[in-house]
Amino acid sequence: MAQKPRVAIFDFTGCEGCELNQLNFEDQLLDILAHVDIVEWREAMDDRPGEYDIAFVEGSLSTPDCIKRIHEIRRRAKVLVAVGACAVQGGINGMKNIRPIEQVREEVYGEDKYLFPTLPALPLRAVVKVDHEVRGCPMTQIEFLKVFTALVMGKEPIEPTSSVCTECKLKENECVFTKGMICLGPVTRAGCDAHCPTFGQYCTGCRGLVPEPNLEGMKEILVEHGLSVQEAWKRLQLYNAVELEGVRS
Amino acid sequence: MNLNQLSPRAEMEDLYLPVMAEIKETRRLTDLETLYTVELPDGRDLGHRPGQFVEVSMFGIGEAPFSISSSPTRKGVFELGIRKVGLLTEKLAELEAGTKIGIRGPFGNGIDVEKFQGKDVLIVAGGIGLVPMRSMINHVRDRRDDFGRLIICYGSRSDRELLFTEELEEWEREKRTEYHVTVDQGSPAWKGNTGVITTLIPGLDLDLPNTVCCICGPPVMYRFVLLALKSRGLADRNIYMSLERRMKCGVGKCGHCQINGSYVCQDGPVYHYPDIKTLQEAL
Amino acid sequence: MVQFFLESDRVAEFVTHLMKRKPVYAPHRKGRKSYSFERTRDAAGVVLDYPRVMQSVKKFFLPPREQLLSFDLGDNTCRAGEVEPLDAIFLGVHSYDLAAVGRLDHNFSEGRAERNYLTRRQGALWVGVSYEPDEYHFAGSVGIDPYDTEGFDIFLTRLLDGYVLEVLTPAGESLLEGFDLPAHEAGKPAKKHFQQHIYVPQDRLNEVMSASYNNPVWEETALGCVGCGTCNLVCPTCYCFNVEENVDITVTKGSRDRHWDGCMLREFSEVAGGEVFRETLAARQRHRVMRKFKYISEKTGQPWCVGCGRCTAYCTAGISIVNIVNRCISDYEKSTVSAIR
Repeated sequence: MAQKPRVAIFDFTGCEGCELNQLNFEDQLLDILAHVDIVEWREAMDDRPGEYDIAFVEGSLSTPDCIKRIHEIRRRAKVLVAVGACAVQGGINGMKNIRPIEQVREEVYGEDKYLFPTLPALPLRAVVKVDHEVRGCPMTQIEFLKVFTALVMGKEPIEPTSSVCTECKLKENECVFTKGMICLGPVTRAGCDAHCPTFGQYCTGCRGLVPEPNLEGMKEILVEHGLSVQEAWKRLQLYNAVELEGVRS
Repeated sequence: MNLNQLSPRAEMEDLYLPVMAEIKETRRLTDLETLYTVELPDGRDLGHRPGQFVEVSMFGIGEAPFSISSSPTRKGVFELGIRKVGLLTEKLAELEAGTKIGIRGPFGNGIDVEKFQGKDVLIVAGGIGLVPMRSMINHVRDRRDDFGRLIICYGSRSDRELLFTEELEEWEREKRTEYHVTVDQGSPAWKGNTGVITTLIPGLDLDLPNTVCCICGPPVMYRFVLLALKSRGLADRNIYMSLERRMKCGVGKCGHCQINGSYVCQDGPVYHYPDIKTLQEAL
Repeated sequence: MVQFFLESDRVAEFVTHLMKRKPVYAPHRKGRKSYSFERTRDAAGVVLDYPRVMQSVKKFFLPPREQLLSFDLGDNTCRAGEVEPLDAIFLGVHSYDLAAVGRLDHNFSEGRAERNYLTRRQGALWVGVSYEPDEYHFAGSVGIDPYDTEGFDIFLTRLLDGYVLEVLTPAGESLLEGFDLPAHEAGKPAKKHFQQHIYVPQDRLNEVMSASYNNPVWEETALGCVGCGTCNLVCPTCYCFNVEENVDITVTKGSRDRHWDGCMLREFSEVAGGEVFRETLAARQRHRVMRKFKYISEKTGQPWCVGCGRCTAYCTAGISIVNIVNRCISDYEKSTVSAIR
């Protein structure tokens, strides 16, 4: 490689946990840095304008200013990668969209609500073209490495489309349902190597829904295992509120 | 459990280990397709039949099946005509002569050319379906006296997408090759037939009992070509077709390429039409 | 055939004896309610009375993930992954799971034999154990009894206070050398009853399934199915796999790896360019069940289902393969009856 790709990392509305997770690559951070020049990273450096080969963007878009900034980033970046549930599918922030925006503004900002223009939370792809995605809340490290290596090699990363169940089965994890817990693994995208079920937790669905999910079927499963129809729908909405907007609950 | 039957022989081949073969030449066919001339180590012959495929791989990128486009009659090297449709093919398109790629195969049954001997051979190829059919066409052209007439029907989306254009001109000129071509939509410069491939079939002069047909093209094409051939009165037993599925391992193990219970990499990709007529997933 | 009696109290001693001969793989407790075949380090951890393990012993011969080759991107070379025979004792195997291994043996040795699987299969010794059919087992319907000793070197049939230990092969006999057991004179207990049944004899299943391609059961099953792939991935006779490239973060080397795959997953039948040949869940359910009872059995003469009940037991949507097949049977019988009328 003649010149190292210039990489920038940005964040929007989110908890910045994804960026922390990037700094958490203790074993691989030096290898990662060997391949690229990081020109912007809010968690690590100051803002500097420039052009980027790859922009990793965390967080959802929730203000008019966000929209302006993401357009700017898109214009400067050759490749834009959405990182984490908020950026990829709106994530937990999307829960905000379930209620009227005025009500949300009032509840959060009270009398000052006119000082804080706020929009429904949007995933990046609702506003700009997103080239690749690293899913998860926080973003899945193993997937980040896969996407990163692919980009360094100049190839398209492969996006997993099967369910988290497949990964549990390959690891022979005791089924979360067998333990008496409720799990969204059957309709949630694989790629995390079933991280939560492996450590005794249920899947909250942070990596988003599989393509063409059978939502009715999943709701039935949840109800069969003890949730009310309403609770089942809320479970599904937790990370997928934006995708489920307009879908009949 | 009788383990004797299972004893791996010391010389048991590794089914998944490719041999490294050299790209001797690349030739752009269209914006999307490239023809690769490939040589096995020591100039070894691939030993394939028309209609067979090989698994091509680039390390770190992936592996996928591709039809062999050259005739077995042409020794020493073989050719692959590859369209850019995904990761591996995009990367292959960037390769230059001298690069080595992984090759496994040849796999699949291929065309049993013996059965075609003495007969009129009708080839119906749509789009990239010409790539495997070219292997058969050139086989017939190289063993011209072993076969009856050679009739080629070739359909393409547009004249810009026609493959092997120099060869097409050759076929057109050749006395003993009856070549028909049509494009779905021609450019202003296109003087030939316009229309889907089935429009070529009614006008063909066929000696029905002595004609064997081989079809290859995009999935939607088969049904319509079959109807057209049927209305000409061509018997099912005289029809062969090459089908595409996801032949991942090529050796009948991975399960991806099944059409109902049939493994395309084992029983196909070239099927005798009567054998798959009742397979619901075939066409 | 020689029969001995193994008291329950001496099971651990027996396991310890086996462990001295070769590595032992046996069912152990895993999680709250589950069991799993693991390498036995402590004889006391072995559980012989268990309903089923999620993953059958298949996982040792066809591992869930496996390196097929490793490559070097610098010099563009590759090397085959290393495969060693397991040379171990598999203890506490249920008859249907060994039957499933037989099916896999067929798959990996017919046509082009596969070195990876067949190498691992070398040297395995089998100590079976009977089981009490639960609400999911239906092995009897595919001709596999809980007491079936076929293929085993030693078989343990459970009694109240211990096991009838049958030595079935010379290899089994030599395993027992140095371990004294009293002879067992009485017979074995009567056959166990299955709670689940497929309602036609297995030799008629091909005929039934051939007539069931357009049965509405596929569409109906698809309503509740979420396509998670669990049924494929817990099946002891499923052998389909996918292959992927994994590149090291240094981008200098990597490996071509295979992992289990399943025909219930959408991308399973997808080809380059995006065409999916089995687009609907109904078509995929049909394919899964047809593979077990028609497609492969037509070629091999054996059903490709061993009645372990895993696909049903682990299905979160409660889809039962027995119910699907029985529905096909009853619709088929109705149609043949009305045809006679």
